[in-house]
Amino acid sequence: MTALARNEALIGAIPILGLLLGWQAAVSAGVAPSALLPSPVAVFGRVAQNLGDPDFLGHTAVTLYRLFVGFLIALAIGVPLGLAGATNRIAGAALKPLVRVLAPVPKIALYPALILSLGFDDASKIVLVTADALFPILLATFQGAAMVEPKLVWSARAAGTSPAGTLLKVILPATLPSILTGSRIALVVACIVVFLAEMITSTDGLGYLLVRAARNFQTVDMFVPLIAISAIGLLLNGALALTRKKLLVGFPEED
Amino acid sequence: MIAISGVTKTFQRRGGGTHLAIDSIDLQVAEGEFVSILGPSGCGKSTLLYIVGGFVPPSRGSITVSGRPVTGPGPDRGPVFQEFALFPWKTVLGNVAYGLREAGMRKREAERQAEALIARVGLKGYESFYPKELSGGMKQRVAIARTLAYNPAILLMDEPFGALDAHTRVRLQNELLELWERDRKTVLFVTHAVDEAVFLSDRVVVMSRQPGRIKAIVDIDLPRPRHRDELLLQSRYQHLVIELERMIEDPPEEIRP
Amino acid sequence: MTAAALATRTRATLLPGLPPLLACLALLLAWQLYARTLSMGGIPDALSTIRELPAILGDRESLADILDSIRRMAIGFAIALAFSVPLGLFMGRSRTVAAMVNPLLMITYPVPKAALMPIIMLWFGVGDASKLLVIVLGVSLPVIYHAYQGARAVEEKMLWSARAMGMSGPARLARIVLPASLPEILVGCRTGIVLALITMITSEMIARQTGAGNILFNALDMAQYETVYAMILVISALGIVLDMLFEYVRGLLTGWAEPRHDLLAPSL
Repeated sequence: MTALARNEALIGAIPILGLLLGWQAAVSAGVAPSALLPSPVAVFGRVAQNLGDPDFLGHTAVTLYRLFVGFLIALAIGVPLGLAGATNRIAGAALKPLVRVLAPVPKIALYPALILSLGFDDASKIVLVTADALFPILLATFQGAAMVEPKLVWSARAAGTSPAGTLLKVILPATLPSILTGSRIALVVACIVVFLAEMITSTDGLGYLLVRAARNFQTVDMFVPLIAISAIGLLLNGALALTRKKLLVGFPEED
Repeated sequence: MIAISGVTKTFQRRGGGTHLAIDSIDLQVAEGEFVSILGPSGCGKSTLLYIVGGFVPPSRGSITVSGRPVTGPGPDRGPVFQEFALFPWKTVLGNVAYGLREAGMRKREAERQAEALIARVGLKGYESFYPKELSGGMKQRVAIARTLAYNPAILLMDEPFGALDAHTRVRLQNELLELWERDRKTVLFVTHAVDEAVFLSDRVVVMSRQPGRIKAIVDIDLPRPRHRDELLLQSRYQHLVIELERMIEDPPEEIRP
Repeated sequence: MTAAALATRTRATLLPGLPPLLACLALLLAWQLYARTLSMGGIPDALSTIRELPAILGDRESLADILDSIRRMAIGFAIALAFSVPLGLFMGRSRTVAAMVNPLLMITYPVPKAALMPIIMLWFGVGDASKLLVIVLGVSLPVIYHAYQGARAVEEKMLWSARAMGMSGPARLARIVLPASLPEILVGCRTGIVLALITMITSEMIARQTGAGNILFNALDMAQYETVYAMILVISALGIVLDMLFEYVRGLLTGWAEPRHDLLAPSL
């Protein structure tokens, strides 16, 4: 880490620390009863305690399962569709207006319909995550593939690659940076949506934990799932950044 | 070897109307000949090259290479672009070996041959570098090696040195001539630089703009092998440069509605 | 401009509405066919759902509820813009400010803002204030982020020229950095609109007092499936209309910018 980066990391810690200190000060000063505002010490103590609790870990695992399956399905649908839409004129003409209409629809509003047709279990939540994660991936893939330098494709064609072969050997790798950018947005949305779906109807998962704590007025426990989903988001973002670094060695840097 | 007859290309203008890019081009290029297409920007010279490459279909007219009509790209015509167009996700070695692997060669053999070519363009030691780590001149050497790797009979060069600084450009011109002297491939070379065209070519095709038409074809009767320092002093060379410069001198650009 | 050029231009601006309209019709048709054949009567079909619409939109109370949602969203969106854009621009021009705010953004981005509702409701009750607050939180993050990205990418030489002309710091921010970042800020706004909708619906679902989300989930609880589907249609239409409105505004504001693949601004 360079001195500059270390300095910036320190500066970045200031507002977060300030927030925590302000929170603690408010609690100590008795601004609000602890039933409304528990102290940060109590909250983080509960988080640490929960990390060893199989029940909590089980709920976390359920949320992660829904998140990943939904995200991977979105990836498996979005990337091929995006590539097809950008490289095939007919596919593009059919895809564009559909995306134009479906992308701005708030998918969470579809959730009741998903519950009615798929039930209250995993399936409806996974489909909801897929529906929300699909469009960032699809759009980014489409955009990336549409902007691939045609001369890259020409170079491959001249070297004897078939038109279909260029899709896998040139367009897909050249679109990879865009796909990863789309995935990053999709993962954040997936975190948000899986949590909300679990809050709406569920018997397990982090979202359910929040609702359960709210019902029983256990304020400390309401903070725990929120901190957990934030940490999951951060970890996923970090994992994606690593993947990016590994997969995109040859591409120009982007921060 | 290359026969271009009556090739015309019109583009659809955005928002309607058509734009005539090149009009009724007829040109024959013999085997082993180095022919430059010289013209101001916007004269359609690159479009003509892309049509010969099979990347862009002509609106009218036809092209045959060794008697066979061109219907698409093929490894008999290797392009080298101004933008290099290297695969950023592949190393120098991976880029140069690409065509060999596509031809079905085993990995080991393809890499051995690619290494030899990389050495031939003076980049020994850079095999594991990615294109982004190279300078412009080095990138273009890799692009040339990548194309030479699958041994096309014809090289289609689209302002290959246009994006390089003056010093690097001269070096690469010399290196290209050296490479060409060895195996005398047929070269179609697009440029807007008069001195470059005269230095490299057997014949220079001068094009006019809007629409792109052949204005003149000039034989460059300078002896080979050519050396830049000697050539610059020859009055024949100087005359050719001046003659061509006058030919492509253009009325000032007018803004069309 | 000649008359012909004008005509083609008008045609080009009118035509883009057609394919999305066809897409809507195709989707409704697919729904109709699915409801009638595959689902074996499990879900209401498109036609009967559309017939349900007048009942909802004609009902004073539900119409007021829906308008209430839109009002909250608009106010929340405006408040968020008012502080997010300056903050983002400021971050883009000062490394220290960016270093200070970035980590906070990183940890709060993946937290679903509507999930804060149960806690915020403890503090501010179930009324407007809580719902407004979560919408503001939801919208502000993408706007801050994109304003920051936009301001960071502003050509340094453009600012040098402004300085040479004697423009002051705040004036440079308002008259150079802001317009130059506008295309990127609008990308953030689009994400913000979608997040505002999500937050609006879920916060109303959790607080259960008024709003479109309230009608939707109450109908679900009471097994009024026709109303559920009709509300889905209403909210989807709201999303699509907002998107079109946004595209229109963007066209007005950034007609000068390089054309980008319009469909493709990253949206959530």
